[in-house]
Amino acid sequence: MHLPGIRFSSSVWRRIGQSLFFALFLFLFIKTDYAGVDELTWAVNLLFRLDPLLAFSAILAGKTVVALMLPALVTLVLTLVFGRFFCGWICPLGSLIDGSRHLFPPERNNFDPGRRQLKYYLLIFLLSSTLFGLPLTGLIDPFSLLIRGFTFAVHPALDYATTSFFTWTYQHAPAWLNALTEPVYALLKHMLPFAAKVYGLSVFSLLLLLAVLGLSSLESRFFCRKICPLGALLAIFSRFSLFRLAGGTPECSKCRQCRNVCRMGAIDAERTVTSAECILCLDCMAHCPGSRIHYSLKRQAAGEQAIDLSRRAVITSLTAGVLVPLILPTRLLARFADPLLVRPPGALPETAFLGRCVRCGECMKVCIGNALQPAWLEAGLEGIFTPRLIGRIGYCEYNCTLCGQACPTGAIRRLTRDEKQVTVIGRAYFDKNRCLPYAKGVPCIVCEEHCPTPDKAIKFREAKALNSKGELVELRKPYVIEELCIGCGICENRCPLNGGAAVIVTAEGESRQRNSITKDGY
Amino acid sequence: MDRRQFIRDVFLWSVGATLTIPRFNILPEVLAAEKPRSLLSLAKGEDYFALVARVLTPLGGMKNFVRPGDRVVVKPNIGWDRSPEQGATTHPLVVKALVVQALEAGASKVFVFDRTCNEQRRCYANSGVEKAIVEIGDSRAVIEHIDPRKFIPVDIAKGKSITKWEIYKDALDCDCYINVPVAKHHGLSRLTLGLKNSMGVLGGNRGSLHQNIGQNLADLATVIRPKLTVIDATRILLRSGPQGGDIKDVKKIDTLIASADPVAADAYATTLFELKPDAIASTVAAYSMGLGEMDLARIQVVTA
Repeated sequence: MHLPGIRFSSSVWRRIGQSLFFALFLFLFIKTDYAGVDELTWAVNLLFRLDPLLAFSAILAGKTVVALMLPALVTLVLTLVFGRFFCGWICPLGSLIDGSRHLFPPERNNFDPGRRQLKYYLLIFLLSSTLFGLPLTGLIDPFSLLIRGFTFAVHPALDYATTSFFTWTYQHAPAWLNALTEPVYALLKHMLPFAAKVYGLSVFSLLLLLAVLGLSSLESRFFCRKICPLGALLAIFSRFSLFRLAGGTPECSKCRQCRNVCRMGAIDAERTVTSAECILCLDCMAHCPGSRIHYSLKRQAAGEQAIDLSRRAVITSLTAGVLVPLILPTRLLARFADPLLVRPPGALPETAFLGRCVRCGECMKVCIGNALQPAWLEAGLEGIFTPRLIGRIGYCEYNCTLCGQACPTGAIRRLTRDEKQVTVIGRAYFDKNRCLPYAKGVPCIVCEEHCPTPDKAIKFREAKALNSKGELVELRKPYVIEELCIGCGICENRCPLNGGAAVIVTAEGESRQRNSITKDGY
Repeated sequence: MDRRQFIRDVFLWSVGATLTIPRFNILPEVLAAEKPRSLLSLAKGEDYFALVARVLTPLGGMKNFVRPGDRVVVKPNIGWDRSPEQGATTHPLVVKALVVQALEAGASKVFVFDRTCNEQRRCYANSGVEKAIVEIGDSRAVIEHIDPRKFIPVDIAKGKSITKWEIYKDALDCDCYINVPVAKHHGLSRLTLGLKNSMGVLGGNRGSLHQNIGQNLADLATVIRPKLTVIDATRILLRSGPQGGDIKDVKKIDTLIASADPVAADAYATTLFELKPDAIASTVAAYSMGLGEMDLARIQVVTA
């Protein structure tokens, strides 16, 4: 740790580490976008693939080993060696919580260990319910929470603010000022969405993220201490880690500086560090007046608190996880799926898809047409934040395969361009009561113009029709050839009617099997 | 009388004289009748880059359209995420050659842009046009994505169907606008040629223009006035336009058409598809508004 003339304290090193990882996160986040070539250059899903909670969850849900998620093993092995460094150094949500702690200063002292078992119970519930058919892990996974908040709300809002400001300067400021501001805008645009984006659940996602940050005003790193199931999983491993922090001795007398500064409440009155709770922020090392705290190869101290879970609570959460999924087949969804729920191309069959999808929002971030939107309850409680295509907001670009590339778990399969172009995600139909040539005798067929399949799925017939003036006009009436339609939604998107489109895509005919549509049939 | 007084007097007299000149509204049809035959140049060849210079020669070359210091717009059709051989977009070599010619004629800036139908970045990249312009390596040649701030509402005073629309600022405040459409099939308007290519500088809900496409395009042609139209018919898309996607629908005919008369260029290009000029509603509408010639007998075709 020696640089010429400078000696950084241990917590400064941690802060530098956190900043670097956060910068890496932001870089990958911004790079989750089309970059002029069909393949994504940066493995933006890297963070998720290092997340052992999501790995376990995807594996339990699918009851198969998901090769994409194997890098998560590295995190676990490193945790066994070094402890819960992941939470203190790498987790971008943790860094954001640390970074915003002056906005939400904790009210209480830091050393209340109460209810920190909650996160373990939550972990047990989530994993067992996932195994039995109700995958909810992604809702609360720290990466997913963070990226959803950023993708759906923070990033588009920053874009809106920036663009509004520079539109104002562009339109009203003198030329000399524009000579200064326009290059700044061009530079900022590299970090903002290429075109303005909108997202469903943007306010909700932001509120969730703010709630996580705001909870720190109860106790520092409240979310990490008591809620985060990823933290809980890593804690179970870090309990046995080879390296750990230790130091406090009877010589410390009344000094409890380490305990006062610990943001995780991991140090008890006897100055023993609970390694399961310690996230290695190293503040105690930096603040110890006697420099007695060291990070080294040590066995577990005799007085160290175990993870004191109550047997009853463990059994309750385990059982709840088994029982709660039993309610699922009682829903209407079990017999009739929402026909407007169009999934991205390459999505696995619905049950497998819901199990694999970690609600990270990466596909919606990377979707070049802004077409993929977070679902609310259309796919049930377990479907919240899963991607669906809303044609009126955006359409699926015919040549684009980015969502499958960005998906960290393979819930959306990686398709080649050729495969994608024959993958049916739905089919279009015409609402002839609204479609101009049918309803009003007015020529249009913008849908036909935009239909991207080489043999167009929307064709037209020459016909005569009466318009509103009572004139007999010759025009072209569009219709869909089902076998050619892949459901990309560009027709619905470009339909020039105000309000709802006269051509609408439903999930009917999608390539993946639907296992829940009219099960019993006739 | 000192010099100052002299200048002041000259100025005041000339203002007064100008104001007293009566203004007449001359019917465009009358003007059209008196005009000489529209000149149209036709060239065939496989080297598309060289072909551009050849097709411009009978028209007096690029220097006849671009004067030193001019701000020039070269407006291709790169509206779809398709590759050059699919025939849905203007060939990158044709665009590149026009930009190079304009630069050689002394243009101070040459802008290339199109408001695309598919995602902009994909269209710019996969049409090959972005790369072709960057390859020129001249900072005066600029290919930029559409900036939504630059759409300004424009009154279309002579419009019969539309009287106002948002138009891209760069397309309006330039000295020389060069239209470079690709000739291809289109479901609604039968063909898309020069006049239809002007839709690429429009803002707003362009889909609604389709409800009276012929007259709307003619109305637009009263405000978007290319000094030069070069129609890329090196490959023409015969079916499933305007996007195509199947090479079988593309016919290679290695042809370029150039004219200062936008209607004549469209009218002649129609014949490449074995159609008559009056098959295209926008050509007929623009002709009847006096915007150019569509009578093939009155178009002087020079093969370069």
